[in-house]
Amino acid sequence: MKHFLSVFILLFPLCSFSQAHLQGTVKDGTGQPLSGVNVFIKDSYDGTSSAKDGTFHFSSDEKGMRSVVATSVGYKAIEQPVELTGKEIELKIVLLEEVNQLDAVVISAGSFTAGEDKRRTLLKPLDIATTAGATADIAGALNTLPGTQKVGESGRLFVRGGDGTETRTFIDGMVVLNAYGPAAPNTPSRGRFLPFMFKGTSFSTGGYSAEYGQALSSALVLNSKDKAEINQADIGLLSVGGDVAHTQVWGGGSWSGKLQYTNLRPYNHVISQRVDWKNPMASFEGSSAFRQQIGKGMVKVYGNFSQTDFSLYHHDILNPASRQLYDISNRYRYGNISYKTVLNATWDIRSGFSYSYNQNKISIEGLPAEETEKGTHTKWVLSHSFSDNTEWHFGSELINRTYFASRFNDTTQQIISKSFTEAIAAGFTEAEFILGSRIAAKLGSRYEYNSLNGKSSIDPRLSIAYKPGKTGQFAFAYGLFRQSAKNQFLRINSQLSEERAEHFILNYQIITDHKTFRIEAYYKKYLDLVKYVNNNPFSLNNTGSGYAQGIELFWRDNQTIRNADYWVSYSYLDTQRDYLYYPFAAVPTFASAHNFSVVYKHYVRALQSQIGLTYSYASGRTYYNPNLGSDQFQTQRTPSYQDLSLNISYLPKSWLIIYASCTNLLHRNNIFGYQYSAQPNTNGEYVSQAIRQPANHFVFLGVFITFSKNKNVNQLPNL
Amino acid sequence: MKKTNLLILLIFVTSLTRATDNKFSQAMIKNIELVYQATTSEEFQHAVNVFDRIASAEKTRWEPYYYSSYGNMMMALRENDASKKGKYLDLALEAVQKAKALKPDESEIFVMEGFVYMISLTVDPATRAQQFSGMAFDSYHKALTLNPENPRALALMAQLEFGTAQFFKTSTTEACNTNSQALEKFSSQKNDNPIAPVWGKNVAEEMKTRCLPSPQKEK
Repeated sequence: MKHFLSVFILLFPLCSFSQAHLQGTVKDGTGQPLSGVNVFIKDSYDGTSSAKDGTFHFSSDEKGMRSVVATSVGYKAIEQPVELTGKEIELKIVLLEEVNQLDAVVISAGSFTAGEDKRRTLLKPLDIATTAGATADIAGALNTLPGTQKVGESGRLFVRGGDGTETRTFIDGMVVLNAYGPAAPNTPSRGRFLPFMFKGTSFSTGGYSAEYGQALSSALVLNSKDKAEINQADIGLLSVGGDVAHTQVWGGGSWSGKLQYTNLRPYNHVISQRVDWKNPMASFEGSSAFRQQIGKGMVKVYGNFSQTDFSLYHHDILNPASRQLYDISNRYRYGNISYKTVLNATWDIRSGFSYSYNQNKISIEGLPAEETEKGTHTKWVLSHSFSDNTEWHFGSELINRTYFASRFNDTTQQIISKSFTEAIAAGFTEAEFILGSRIAAKLGSRYEYNSLNGKSSIDPRLSIAYKPGKTGQFAFAYGLFRQSAKNQFLRINSQLSEERAEHFILNYQIITDHKTFRIEAYYKKYLDLVKYVNNNPFSLNNTGSGYAQGIELFWRDNQTIRNADYWVSYSYLDTQRDYLYYPFAAVPTFASAHNFSVVYKHYVRALQSQIGLTYSYASGRTYYNPNLGSDQFQTQRTPSYQDLSLNISYLPKSWLIIYASCTNLLHRNNIFGYQYSAQPNTNGEYVSQAIRQPANHFVFLGVFITFSKNKNVNQLPNL
Repeated sequence: MKKTNLLILLIFVTSLTRATDNKFSQAMIKNIELVYQATTSEEFQHAVNVFDRIASAEKTRWEPYYYSSYGNMMMALRENDASKKGKYLDLALEAVQKAKALKPDESEIFVMEGFVYMISLTVDPATRAQQFSGMAFDSYHKALTLNPENPRALALMAQLEFGTAQFFKTSTTEACNTNSQALEKFSSQKNDNPIAPVWGKNVAEEMKTRCLPSPQKEK
């Protein structure tokens, strides 16, 4: 017992006399002293903050092998072993700047990202909802960005001389087939997915990652929101229908559902339409999202169904008194499930499955026709980070789809049908490097095997970004892209090769906290486009070709004018293609050389309202007047397209939003193109009919009410 | 003999833990004073550094993380550079989450969480206001469920209500009532625990001056 005590008595003073002294300096990578750095012995109280000149000294009672840690805001923490023996220890610590997300060099050529994660993004989800003229349609809002062409009668995204089918939509990395809702001929269709579902949108106008295939011109990558945070119920009363939604939240997950009914009949009574409707468009739509944290990862399930019906009378150009009844019934289902998790410190995995089903049942004067497309997509991607500066992604996917079309043949009195099944197996790999803090590069390739034509291919992708200073950045992207020929051609000739496009993009951008400037030039070469052999639409090959080139400018500023935010886009496009029935290379009807738009949003405090104005201009589009010789093919031009739209969001109460919007305030009679009679009239002339807007204005009114125990919540973050 | 041995060993062990406990309390008390008295970012950073060191040594205590979060919040409030402000807010939230993992039912931690959300909102009000005000409200609500007497929960809730009422030009009466309740709790609050949070009274008092002169001015 005595021994026991005496050992302690002896030991204690020993301890206190053998304090270790640590001192030294902390500097950054350039040799500048750093102050306020927390320098301490790990798992102990002992340490200090470095002084103004970067020096520090402290003592410790700790003994043996320990770790000294140095941490400071904006710098990478370091940990280094020291042996505490009682002797003085001199340390020279160098902290390296953490690569700040905002100042980091990023791959930028060809893409616009919108999200809440980054503090500096070009467009946020809310921006999409509040862009006048877009009526909360994703494609509508993206149409105010450079690289897009106004094609008012379609509503789809036409990117850099590409047509509307060349932009492919992905939700959480999974393919979406038929991403747009049905529309009457020459009336714009809306995207099936509302912007509120997504926390981030990446709109790429070219040069996108090897992960995304089957898109010639553009990839629209939508990332759905994570777990909801607040229980709420919402009601929306719209001039064209109504909706109800509910969100339920629990510890590790959330569920939300929405039902929506739209009927244009009352609206069409008030605002006369150029379309001769029998039954105006009516649709019933439901969607549901489920989120659950499992382990370190998140499972996301999303489902959507809709049923849309309408019928209208088609009038012959030569004989306007005659009419033909078109009846269309569309059924759509989409579902996807995805899971993303961290495997360990350096590996993570994403995987998913999606299913799309789209059926159009059409009846023309009682004669039935049908078009059905079903598809599944399975994909997994593994990511590995070798270091902070090197990352590697690889994965594979299988896109399977079946197409079926049938039609009643009046002369043979039989139903004829055509169908095909296509499976595309793909593998992709991509490496991302950051060299120093100035250069970032992404190098990838994509392999595809197509079961329909039995061909396989390897396409390279490359992007480089160079940031010489604090704000400005140069970027370059190159890639080869392919996409299966359109369904209407594959059903005639399933052996058709995929159409291809080669992109070259050069970009310069300056992004500061509140301002963005960007200029981009590109050259795109189209190869293997579908072409009619001897002008016969039933004999197809891949000898078509084309090109598109242009320069685009973008400017956004939300600082100079108080409470206001605006952006300006300009795109110049020079494109020609020799494909389908074209007698020679010519400018396609959907391309306009100059596209310009200004989006302006102003928050007026006195009115508790946000007012938005959007002006869009597109120079005239080409068309062919068959009364002229074929050497005049695509030489005629429509007048320019111009639109000025206004919207107002009024927040009288925190749980209530009143929204109103109107298009075409300039009251222009915009002409998108001309249709000609199939046969010449008695004078031997083909008679023309202008393709115009279905109505001069589109007026939209909505009231959005939110119920929640928290009365500060409204539908604004969802809109 | 053996029994005495064990007893002495026990006394020795308990006194040893009391000694570290004392070391903890003393370090905390001293540094809490520092963080309350700090006025410049350097002083706050210095105090935050000490709390971070204590947190690294005391793996079961939520308080060092809590005060580290508080210190980062004070720096965030003083910072004008948006990206730096964001960094401090990130660190504050990180510390709150660590505290929460150690004591999931502590009212004060939820107050701090709500505080971080409320200030994060101001970085980008146009896009964040709705979501973050909802999240801040939920945190304060949780804090008040855990401890209805928490004056800080009431004071910050009053701030959020006041800001919302001003934005929507509705009556600030409710906010001012919450604030009076907060002031009441601040004066009646008695605390034996020297390391328990006591800040926030000045926030409520400042708001009282905004509430008092114009009770009739509200529409």
